[in-house]
Parts: sequence; C-alpha cells; structure tokens
Amino acid sequence: MNKSKHRKQIMSQPVRIIEKKPIPTHALMLYGLPDVGLVGLIATSYIISELDLDEIAYVDSDLLPPVVVLHEGLPHAPLRIYGGKSIIAAISEMAIPAAGIHSVMRKLTEWAQSKKVKMVLSIGGMPLENRQDIKEPKVFCAASNRDLLDLLDKKGLNILKEGYMVGPQALTMRYCAERKLSAIAFLAQSFYNYPDPEAAAAAINEVAKIAELKIDVSKLLEKGEEIRLRARDIMKRTQRELTHMKKSQEYDLPLYV
Amino acid sequence: MSDYVEDFKTWAEEIIESATNQRPSWDIESCSLEPLCNIFITTKEVVVTADLPYAEPKMVRVEAIGENMIEIEAKMKRKVHFDDFGITHRKGEFSSLLCQPRIPVPVKPEQMKISFKHGILEIRLPRKKGYEIKVE
Repeated sequence: MNKSKHRKQIMSQPVRIIEKKPIPTHALMLYGLPDVGLVGLIATSYIISELDLDEIAYVDSDLLPPVVVLHEGLPHAPLRIYGGKSIIAAISEMAIPAAGIHSVMRKLTEWAQSKKVKMVLSIGGMPLENRQDIKEPKVFCAASNRDLLDLLDKKGLNILKEGYMVGPQALTMRYCAERKLSAIAFLAQSFYNYPDPEAAAAAINEVAKIAELKIDVSKLLEKGEEIRLRARDIMKRTQRELTHMKKSQEYDLPLYV
Repeated sequence: MSDYVEDFKTWAEEIIESATNQRPSWDIESCSLEPLCNIFITTKEVVVTADLPYAEPKMVRVEAIGENMIEIEAKMKRKVHFDDFGITHRKGEFSSLLCQPRIPVPVKPEQMKISFKHGILEIRLPRKKGYEIKVE
C-alpha cells in the first residue's frame, strides 16, 4: 500500500477519550496544546499544578505517535485531561501531528459538549516578530459568538478583530462555533519558536478574569529560565508541526472586501 | 498524481527528519546543551537568533567559522544536571549552551552586529551584494 493511501486510512480512524475518573459536568474546559511559544501548554500546566487537578482522562488514537511519558516511573499518555472542582484542562506533552489535529480537536470538542462543559477557554500564543523588545505581552481574544464578544468587551479584554488563526486554536473555535458551544481563544503576544513563560503568565491573568480564578503567576515567572531550558525539545518538534499546518499564515493580511 | 506528490513530500520530510533530528539536544563531551536557534533572511541581512536561558551578555561568545557558519557559546549562570530534569538514568553536567548555525547565503561576518535582549541573542549579518544590472 502506498503511503498516501495508508495516511488516508489512518485519518479515518477514530480518536478515543478514555476516562479514568468521574468527569465534572458543567465545568469550564481549558485547552493548552503545543502551539507558538508553547504558551497554552505552559499556562495550562501551571494552572493544573496550582489548582492541584487530577488526571481524569486521556486521548488515544493511531493518529498520535507511539509515545508514553513516564512520570515517577509510571506511564502516561502525552495528551491528557485533568479535572477537579469546576475545571477541566487538556494538555499535550508532545506536538500533535498536523495530520491528526482535525480529528483530535473534533473529538475533544465533541467530548466537551457531552460533558456539558459551560465554556471552552483555549490558550495560545500570537507570534510577534519583535517579541524581545516587549516587556509585557498583550493578550488578544476571539470568541465563538457575539454574546461572548460583548462579555470580553465588558471585562476590558482586547479583541482580535481581523486576522487568521491557524492550528489547534483555530479548530477549537471552528468546531465550538459549529456545535454552538461557547469558546474563547486567548492569544498572548509571544515568540514564534521559543518557549515563552512570560506570555503564558500574561495569558493566565486574562483567563482568570473570565474563569474567575485566582492564580498567582509569580512562581511561573521565577521558573521562566528553567522552563525555557526544559522546553527546547518539545518546542523544536512543535515548530515542525506548525510548519506543516502553515502557521505562518497568521502573519497574512486577510482579504474581505 | 497528487498521491505521488504526497508520497514525495513524505519521503523528503523523512530524509530531513533523519538528517536533523537523530541527535539529542545535549552533548556530554562538551558539557553543553543545544539552544533553540533560528535564521531569518531579509533582503539586506541575515538575522540569527538564539534563546539563551541562564546566560548573561558578558557570558556570550559569537565567532565566525569560515564564511557560512557561526558558533554561539554561552556559559550558563548555573550548571544543569540530568537530575534537574528528573532524569536519573543518565549522568551528565552541562555548563554552557552551544550551537553552530549554518548561514545559507553569502554574508559579511566581519560586519556582524550582536545584541542580547530578554534572553534572546540576536546577530545581524549584512548580506554580500552581487553586481547591479542596469534596467534598459
């Protein structure tokens, strides 16, 4: 069988979410998947750690590489879902292959709706060429419906009015809008291909305004250099997948006459 | 036809992957970690950037190696061990960040300008110009 046929066959295979513990209903769901500057992954991992959330489910699919992550000697799926109280959070400790991103995001959104999630909050970065010249990254938001845009406006958050979104956040917005599931994407100005803990901290501060959470980001900022050093490998792999997703299209000017 | 193009793309990607990604991002022998590094080519210059956590400007050394390669080395403020990453099945200590990015177009290395902001090293190398062709 040639590789294209094999790829098409794989793409039709399902994504499964295996639940390990009871899943909270009517919760807020955070997405922190590898993207520019690893903003979403760093921010969501920090929130998980600060809120002491438990691993409640994981994603399994032949679309994902045959990888397990060992923590304290025990195997974990790289794409996991944490939960507790009224928050659910999905993170991935590996770059999601471009070929599988549609199926994974579609399944996550379908699953979120089946759990009667109140709102999806997707955290990511917005690449900025001169990021090193900026001390405090701004965060821009996009919403899946008009009411949410009004809410963002009321809370004083910056709205991303025009532009392209590419990758996990783009699909989150598309599939949530299709299913009429409320979703907000938080995009912090960040480095394209360097891990950006400061952008992650800025994103957390904005997420907290909507999620009504109290998260102190000072520890995250203190650990910034350590995170940048540790995140080199996943950043490099993420960068490769983002290239396949044509992520650089986010720099393009949209045409809508 | 598109299947063949796809197969060719996959094959090319596999070759690039095997050539660039089969080595770890650390080197025990030189006690160094490989920093993330990127190269942008503009019409006038080549801009090389590198993310150098735990480094300070005075600890960074940039050297041209021939005409199409530069070496970036930065001593880190603290030594890092595999243990620090939670890895106990390997032994090693790292004291610097080291990489040798290849410059893809001709440049004037003697005119390079270096800055270090926010932990990011930025090296600007003016491009060598060819000769001008007059428009008739």
